[in-house]
Amino acid sequence: MRKLKAVLLKDHVDGVVRSLGEAGIVQFVDNGARSEEWEEMLVPHKVSPEISEKGSQLLTKIERFLEALEVEVRFERKVKTPITREPMEEVLRKVEQQLEELPVEALTKCSTLSARIDSLLETLGAESEEVEEKPITLEKPIEDSLTEIESQVAEIEKELDLITRETPNILISRIQTLRVQENVDPRRRLDQKLVKEIRKPFKRQRQLLELRKLVKEIEEFFLNQLLTQRKIVLEVRKKIEKDVQISDVKRRLLHLREIVVKEKQVEEEQRKFVESDKTVYLEAWVPEDDVKEATREIEIVTEGNSVVTVEPASKEEKAPIVLKPAPNYIAAFQKLVCTFGYPSCGDLNPARILAITFPILFGIMFADVGQGAIFILLGIILFFARRKIDMEKVGDIFRYLFISSEMFVFLGISAMFFGFIFGEFFGPSGVIHPISLGRIGPFYIGGFEPTEEPMKMLRFAILVGTIHLGIGMTLRFINEIRHQHYKLAPIPIFWMWLMFGGLFNWAYWGGISNISRWFSDGSLMLIGLIVLPLVLILAFTSITEGFMEGVGFSVEVFAETLSHSMSYSRLMALGLIHSAMNYLFLVLGGVTHGHFPLNSIPLIAVGTILVMIIEGLVVFVHTLRLHWVEWFSKFHAGEGIPFKPFKYTL
Amino acid sequence: MDPSLISLMGIALSIGVPVVAAAITIIICGTALAGIGTEKPELLSRLIITVVLGEALAIYGLLIAFMLLGKLPVITTLEAANKALISGIVIAVASLSAGIGISYCGTSLIGATAENPDTFSSNVIGVVLSEALAIYGLLISFMIIGQI
Repeated sequence: MRKLKAVLLKDHVDGVVRSLGEAGIVQFVDNGARSEEWEEMLVPHKVSPEISEKGSQLLTKIERFLEALEVEVRFERKVKTPITREPMEEVLRKVEQQLEELPVEALTKCSTLSARIDSLLETLGAESEEVEEKPITLEKPIEDSLTEIESQVAEIEKELDLITRETPNILISRIQTLRVQENVDPRRRLDQKLVKEIRKPFKRQRQLLELRKLVKEIEEFFLNQLLTQRKIVLEVRKKIEKDVQISDVKRRLLHLREIVVKEKQVEEEQRKFVESDKTVYLEAWVPEDDVKEATREIEIVTEGNSVVTVEPASKEEKAPIVLKPAPNYIAAFQKLVCTFGYPSCGDLNPARILAITFPILFGIMFADVGQGAIFILLGIILFFARRKIDMEKVGDIFRYLFISSEMFVFLGISAMFFGFIFGEFFGPSGVIHPISLGRIGPFYIGGFEPTEEPMKMLRFAILVGTIHLGIGMTLRFINEIRHQHYKLAPIPIFWMWLMFGGLFNWAYWGGISNISRWFSDGSLMLIGLIVLPLVLILAFTSITEGFMEGVGFSVEVFAETLSHSMSYSRLMALGLIHSAMNYLFLVLGGVTHGHFPLNSIPLIAVGTILVMIIEGLVVFVHTLRLHWVEWFSKFHAGEGIPFKPFKYTL
Repeated sequence: MDPSLISLMGIALSIGVPVVAAAITIIICGTALAGIGTEKPELLSRLIITVVLGEALAIYGLLIAFMLLGKLPVITTLEAANKALISGIVIAVASLSAGIGISYCGTSLIGATAENPDTFSSNVIGVVLSEALAIYGLLISFMIIGQI
């Protein structure tokens, strides 16, 4: 990663940012906040608010048109826009001009009007196909006829609103009350008073009926009017479309939008620069391979009127990192690493090693031949499904599943392997007998059933843990060498000496219960294996960082060695729980000595699915935790910043 | 007292209290997580660690209960029964303290990560160290059971 510093004339800034944005190779450093360092020699670069306002206005205008013309915003085909060197103001002015030339105003009016008329027709209950075949000739110019129709439609809307919303309700309720009075007992009609009373409403009813008729007529009138108006609108549209290709208009609109969006982004990026009276100063990170291209781009745009220097990153600064693109089968593991933290500058990327250790630790806890096979199957299905499914459309959780399809295969293979070692087939069913891989002192590698002999499993877990931590310390050693911290480099070596020495002591004297013998019989061994490395760690840290830090660090090393290696006993705990939960379903199903009765299969299937989901999640998180906390704390600080080059996003 | 009754009490303690501890953790962290999930769903995949580690407490209790259940036919003397009871108490106390630790640190972790996602890697230490407490308890009660 190199730091590029450039001084340009103000007129060239827009062009330079545009061309670099098209190439997408630099990440601009935000100097706006740092301007105090230059003591008012340089001030934050300002883009005039009018230009920025104009850009936003144009964008909203274009988007309104696009919406009215029902154009979906997408940029599938790459239009190679030539990079202009003009100032932003000029570009935006051109866009505005082109926008005025397009007949979009009339077109959008047409579509909104026809939509309005259609909805009115719908409220009147007319079929939209009832267009009379009467040729209509447009006498007035397009603009005039459209405004006329617009005002007419607005009037009709108002009238109809009055009539259809309010009048009928009043009419209907009146008429209903009248009907109720009609049903009065006939004998009582003789009553003169009543006759009078009834007659009055009868009169009113007649009026109401007339009114209703009138409303019908008005509606009919409106309907006819609307239909003709609709016809005119369609005619106008046809006329406009005769002059210009509608698809051409849409394409040009999209093109204009692209220009404006890019200009907005260019403007946004310029806020990071600082300026003096006539020049602009910018800093940017460039990957080493792209330095030449970046400087060339700047020189071409500014025609040589610029000063460009390229320097390596200084030690105080955190340069952003570019990770090498990981192959597909590593991608999921890379994601696990980056979720914790991006590798610091110069650090090793641990994704490849994680891709080996992660499945191993997972497999020890999830040891089962049958469930491992299901995992492999699942991974293969996901792998083939991934090719056929559009990744953009699936949900978050499914996308994770699809990305990690290869990881499922890895985890499944490891689970099957340890299933053979610990003799588990859908739980300790006795189908497979544990296969021993050998024995190192008191540490048995396989060849026992964890539920039967948990102490052997515990020792195995601690052994695996110390080896895992040892790998972490080796990586720390490599990282220190890469950073050229040669005085700190031996510390991880001493740490490994301490850890494996402690393990040897523990194994040699037969566990922690004989700790008194560590000090009496094995005092020499204790000094050589535990005290000496601690003293060396203290000495080396004191030389580089001071005595107090040295004391603190060596105490931390001692405590961390103890607690971190003990933390790996969760390999045993979760492994035992996994097989115990399976065992529960085996007992319920009546499985004995590897014989599966036919009626136990559904129960075992349900149990397997249940255990696989719950245990899979818990075991996964614990594996992750072992890596993130116990393992990464040895070598992976995760303080890196990813390199995010400035690139147009549309 | 009857040895089998004492050891049964041990089993009850070893499953009951860790389950309560897990419940406390999940209730406290789960609600905080749900709140953050509406604002920043992209953080959920990381922060789910708090809830799952809380759930693991119940699993440790379950493990000890299972092992004690397996030993039940062997427990005949008062001494063995006492060991069973004590191992239950050990895992109960350890997981309860771990649960309290996770729920306090977990909610703070969730809030802090939502504010500034970069702090996750250093703040997660509180949660995982609290969870390690339960592992220590598990180891000891495991060793006590080994001596029955």
